[in-house]
Amino acid sequence: MSRQFDVIGSRAPRKDAPNKSTGKAQYIEDITFPGELAGALLQSPHAHAKILDIDTSKALALPGVVAVLTAKDVPEVKYGVSPARYDENLFAMDRVRYVGDEIAAVAAVDLPTALKAVELIQVEYEPLPVLLTVEEATANDAPWIHEEYPDNICAQVEQEFGDVEAAFAQCDLIQEGSFFSKRQDGAFIEPNQCVALMGHDGVLTLHSSTQVPHYVQRTVAMVTGLGMSQVRVVKPYVGGGFGPKASATPIDLAASFLAIRTGRPVRMAYTREQVFLFSRARHGFTHHMKIGAKKDGTLMALDHQATLDGGAYSSFGIATVYYAGSLLGGPYKLPNMRYAGRRVFTNKPACGAQRGHGGVIARALFEQQLDIIAEKLGMDPIELRLKNMMETGDVTCNDLAMSSLGMKECIEAVKSGSGWGEKKGKLPPGKGIGMACGFFVSGAGYPIYRSETYHCTIMIKADEDGGGITVYTASAEIGQGSDTTMAMIAAEAVGIPLEQVRVKSGDTDFGIDLGAYSSRTTLMTGHATKEAGDNLKAMVLETLAGELGIQAARLDIKNGLIKISGGPVDFSAIRTGYIKEHRGWQDQPQSQELTFREAARLAYLRRGTLVATGKYKPPVLGGKYKGATVGTSPAYGCSAQVAEVNVDFETGQIIVERVTDAHDCGQAVNLTSVEAQMQGSVSMGLGEALFEEVKFDAQGRIINASLGEYHIPTVMDMPEVRCIVVESGEPNGPFGAKEVGEGAIMPTIPAILNAVRNATGLVLEETPLTPERVYQALKKQKGA
Amino acid sequence: MLLPPFEYYRPSNLEQALALLREMGDQAHPLAGGTDLLVNLKLKKLAPKALLDLGGLEELKGSRADGGQVSLGALNSASRLASGGPHVPRLLAMGAGALGSPQVRNRATLGGNLVTARPAADLCLPLLALGARAVLTGPQGSREVSLDGYFQGPGYTVKEPGEILTRVLLEAPKPGQGGGYQKLGLRQALEIALVNVAAHLELEPDGKTIAMARVALGAVAPVPMLAPSAAQVLQGAKADEKSFTAAAQAAAADAKPIDDHRGSAAYRRDMARTLTLRALRQALAQAQGGKEVGA
Ligand SMILES: Cc1cc2nc3c(=O)[nH]c(=O)nc-3n(C[C@H](O)[C@H](O)[C@H](O)COP(=O)(O)OP(=O)(O)OC[C@H]3O[C@@H](n4cnc5c(N)ncnc54)[C@H](O)[C@@H]3O)c2cc1C
Repeated sequence: MSRQFDVIGSRAPRKDAPNKSTGKAQYIEDITFPGELAGALLQSPHAHAKILDIDTSKALALPGVVAVLTAKDVPEVKYGVSPARYDENLFAMDRVRYVGDEIAAVAAVDLPTALKAVELIQVEYEPLPVLLTVEEATANDAPWIHEEYPDNICAQVEQEFGDVEAAFAQCDLIQEGSFFSKRQDGAFIEPNQCVALMGHDGVLTLHSSTQVPHYVQRTVAMVTGLGMSQVRVVKPYVGGGFGPKASATPIDLAASFLAIRTGRPVRMAYTREQVFLFSRARHGFTHHMKIGAKKDGTLMALDHQATLDGGAYSSFGIATVYYAGSLLGGPYKLPNMRYAGRRVFTNKPACGAQRGHGGVIARALFEQQLDIIAEKLGMDPIELRLKNMMETGDVTCNDLAMSSLGMKECIEAVKSGSGWGEKKGKLPPGKGIGMACGFFVSGAGYPIYRSETYHCTIMIKADEDGGGITVYTASAEIGQGSDTTMAMIAAEAVGIPLEQVRVKSGDTDFGIDLGAYSSRTTLMTGHATKEAGDNLKAMVLETLAGELGIQAARLDIKNGLIKISGGPVDFSAIRTGYIKEHRGWQDQPQSQELTFREAARLAYLRRGTLVATGKYKPPVLGGKYKGATVGTSPAYGCSAQVAEVNVDFETGQIIVERVTDAHDCGQAVNLTSVEAQMQGSVSMGLGEALFEEVKFDAQGRIINASLGEYHIPTVMDMPEVRCIVVESGEPNGPFGAKEVGEGAIMPTIPAILNAVRNATGLVLEETPLTPERVYQALKKQKGA
Repeated sequence: MLLPPFEYYRPSNLEQALALLREMGDQAHPLAGGTDLLVNLKLKKLAPKALLDLGGLEELKGSRADGGQVSLGALNSASRLASGGPHVPRLLAMGAGALGSPQVRNRATLGGNLVTARPAADLCLPLLALGARAVLTGPQGSREVSLDGYFQGPGYTVKEPGEILTRVLLEAPKPGQGGGYQKLGLRQALEIALVNVAAHLELEPDGKTIAMARVALGAVAPVPMLAPSAAQVLQGAKADEKSFTAAAQAAAADAKPIDDHRGSAAYRRDMARTLTLRALRQALAQAQGGKEVGA
């Protein structure tokens, strides 16, 4: 599969590294505007209550307060993520549904004044019963959190592919298990922040720390009533997102309204506690699975039920509940699959999408059960997995097409890379080894709103001088490295060194890009970038061919030099022209070959500014059933991991000592960035497996809404991670590339679970695997 | 989160500092590393009128040995203690090394840890086990207070508002002594212990009999506490697994844990036993000058 590339596949330093490491990179907090006002939100202290009255008079009377907005002051427009589930109002109309629900916003001359004003707003509440668990919310007499959603069911999915009952009848082994996980927080380092400015030209500019400038632009336009052309969203550098930043926030909207109202720039920022309150991170999942297999290990059928504790609003939840089912269609051959999923409203902050959207805990339970099946059948877990593994070209029972699938290579790589054969079954007490697989979409096949829109558009402009090119993209660099990726793809496509490429990104003025979510940017924006690069190159070569009087097919660009095949051609007139234009300059071209610089300059002289465009939307993808739009993707990334753990039997503490991680990303664009995604995925998966849990008190208030009490892994908790990059060459990806951002997290939790089971014999059914939880389970096992 | 407004003073000697404190009463809070104080100000748990930066007080700095006694200044940072400079007992260095993260250790001070007096404080436990005394200096002069009895409740000690904790006094280390420190948390750094234990052993010249021992327990009571029954079991006993196991049992019985969202009382009690046993083994290895036993 290996192709020779000049730029792609290298470990080129990231374009943003110098600015980020020297502190020059600008995040929202670094960008200030004259005359800024500070905004602040009033959020509900009650998890569920009627609002009887809101009195803002004292707040308005406070010197320094410029505006106070409540539901009365803004259009009554519902918004959300999925148009079928728009269920949020910017400010509570007559009811609050979780501690943190937004009631009012204030703009004042400075933040202390704004916060003081928020305290002065008087709200009369009538408390309602608080529903904090799925059980409470689905009890017969439970009040409905939203009138429109009977019995607090936000979404319900029933799917069957094949004939599950018939398949079970042919099975030699039926394995059943359950799993219960906790709500996570995204724990990105930069809390959400924004600044909105209303210009005299009628254009609202919103600078926001977001993953999705385009969706924010749409939501702000829809809710404020401004046209799309009157809303510009600009995303400067962003300190991480992981999913929770993949939709417009109440501060995006409130700052916009306040800017419109006051005519002054308005800045709003979440504190860390407010990040927890806004949430939109991983749901708490409960899964039950029944898996049927033949004696020889052939997997026959899966019957799967899932319940998601959704919090007070839908957010991404409808997609989450579908993903929780659909992503078990692969990577194993599984001819029969039935899924019943439901997402339940509770009086807690809304959950949404987080790395590995919807699929992580389903994958954890499934892979744990596979290990048990292997053991019961007397097979090595790796053997069982290889036996059932799909190959390139296979299509899952729910119509996901594996256009490339290096899963077997990944498994072989982690098997040999970890020394599986020497370790499995031969480890000293307390040590365990376990493995798991997983896969993920490489970009959602459809936008969040129903549309035939391109998912991304690209504009590449050559410098009039010919010295380089600039890629204009509305895509979102959020720390994952997409700017560097696009620069590398453009450099490769045009045939010039990376240093000659600049990228301007994250601005809705640059075009359409659906944003950084569903692991879509490398494949989708990469496609559009490649297309624009190819087009630009063709423009340059066409002009040059005309000038030289030869066929354009004889010309190519490589490493910034013009390659001419089929015999020598005299280009001295072009060079002489260029040199004359640059009399007195130090860097006249002297190479044997004509340079890109000279050719691009010529093209400008002949046709004006060179602008080439590219675009991408996925081809029509398989699946006609209800919900087929969630899970279909032009490509799937996949990975296998082996985790090695040490379990302290006396304390229950688990230390993950080593992870051997292989991921098939089709083709690494930047090898270092691919490994960074793999490392980051291990870290996030490890946190969810061992530490992370957002906890509530009986009134629905979060009791650990800080990074001191909500534990994400530190560098000291990171195992030694050995990354192995597998490149299967994805036919639907630019230069063969597909995702690595989320697929890489799928095996982490189950690999740890399986390693812990290997060390202890325990089948643990609840994360996080805190020392106490493991200790109690060990105690119970000893007693039994 | 914003810091509330406050006046800021930076006295250049102890006398000035005490005068300012007397003038303002409990309206002024001493500021050392700020890793507790500034957090509490932001969380609006405190709203003092003034902060009194101790950073200029030479009287609170450095470490020295006078006769059989070591004196550590209250402004010693956890990172300095962790690197085990001159006169710093190894047990204290172990606790200091387990505190927070490198950034926090660079700011956090000995005095701040003792005055904040959290039940799981990583410097308090070693100091309790070492039998340390705090020097509290007020308008009337200085008094020495044994740490056993110094802690009154979470965040609450015998120190009067007008007093500054200036130094900590310890017996100079002698041969035949060893310390063990065990901290259990969810993660390996930036962690307030679920349970932590510091153990100090002094062996008779025979190298086998325990002359004296102290076991300090963290996060199992409202304050860092000594386990008196464990000390009793160990005193005069042979330094072996049998007496260590009995002492660990006794320590667990001395513990007064409660249930909270971070852990149950039952688990904490069990861990007090396990960690005491481990800390004692570690202390013995150190006392015998042998290889240290890890966790
Ligand atoms: C992220 C983070 C992690 C942490 N991790 C740990 C941990 O793992 N283990 C642990 O034990 N602690 C931890 N802490 C708490 C804190 O770092 C320690 O308690 C530290 O020792 C406090 O010292 P300081 O100098 O910062 O105190 P400050 O915040 O300056 O002061 C704390 C209190 O003591 C008073 N005070 C300070 N010095 C004196 C003095 N000499 N005389 C009289 N009063 C005084 C102050 O007025 C204030 O009330 C952590 C804190 C943070 C922010």
